Amino acid sequence: MFDPKQSVTLIGTINAFQWTSPHCWIQLSVDGPQGAVEWSIQMGSTLELYRSGWRPSTLESGEKITIVAHPMRNGSHGGLFVSAANTDGTPLKTKSAGSSTP
Amino acid sequence: MTRTLLAALVLLVIASACAQRNLPQRAQAFASLPDWTGLWESSAARLFLSPAGFLEGVDTQDEISKRVQLTGHPPLNDEWERKYQSAAHDTAAIQAAVLSAKSCATSFPLIMDWARVFQVAVTPEETLMVFESADVRHIYTDGRSHPQKDDLWPTPLGDSVGHWEGDTLVIDTVARTPGRIGMGSNDLSEQAHFVERMRRIDKNTLENQLTIDDPLRFTRPWQMTLRYSRVTDLDRMIAWDCSHDRNPVVDGELTIAPP
Repeated sequence: MFDPKQSVTLIGTINAFQWTSPHCWIQLSVDGPQGAVEWSIQMGSTLELYRSGWRPSTLESGEKITIVAHPMRNGSHGGLFVSAANTDGTPLKTKSAGSSTP
Repeated sequence: MTRTLLAALVLLVIASACAQRNLPQRAQAFASLPDWTGLWESSAARLFLSPAGFLEGVDTQDEISKRVQLTGHPPLNDEWERKYQSAAHDTAAIQAAVLSAKSCATSFPLIMDWARVFQVAVTPEETLMVFESADVRHIYTDGRSHPQKDDLWPTPLGDSVGHWEGDTLVIDTVARTPGRIGMGSNDLSEQAHFVERMRRIDKNTLENQLTIDDPLRFTRPWQMTLRYSRVTDLDRMIAWDCSHDRNPVVDGELTIAPP
């Protein structure tokens, strides 16, 4: 479904961060020549994200971020998450892996 | 009269308290069991440990074939060896199998060799294995046998009974739904019979010696040793299900459904 040999860098605004099973999703609105396009970025399971320090509050709607993803082979606006950062390049604020404490 | 009533009340309170606690015999049975407290995972689980759901730069299929023993080559009889070789070169069939065996549908025995964090609860009557996918294996250790034929039907996890040999839990499983093991070409019949010998070999490692016998598929029992590491970066179980699956298969391809 995704092409692991290709990567795209998307700068956009978060429409939704879905903390769901079996995958979490980032819905990202990206401005283009034809207007805004919504990308669906697939992530791991809630357990895998939790162990990596992510929480449902890590991303909020309206936030601007940069996402690197492996795009869909069929050219549709979807991708597999590789990394994310704030638009100034600083890392996102995540917790210590798998811990309730900051 | 008042004194009698008071004594009766005290006895009632003591009896009530005793009724809520384990009897000494059961407490003693608990004390004799090994401590497998905690969360455990197979080495395959580490392949998927990232926000992306798999490790960047790792050839997942290649790593799965190295780490997941149940995708290996069993001692098949001639008929099933021919089918195995034919299936191994049938790309369309492999793709169809991958699509049909989506990540949510993991049955036994693959669930013991796959990317699933699980918790073990050892009690005198049964050992429970509770998986992140909300599947639960019940291994009854109260001396019972498998149900009679009329009371037994195939299920994805099968029917398991067990007994303790020292610190080793010996698990006997039958009635696993026949069909593919998943993520590979291997297939088990309704006559597949499984024996696991599970023990803790050090503070952070559980070992599971799994033997599968299938008279309709194998020429001899298929044996392997699985190991599970203690999960140290989770403070609780994060269970999940597939209620929000957004990857439907359309025209034979996985796709992304709208949010």
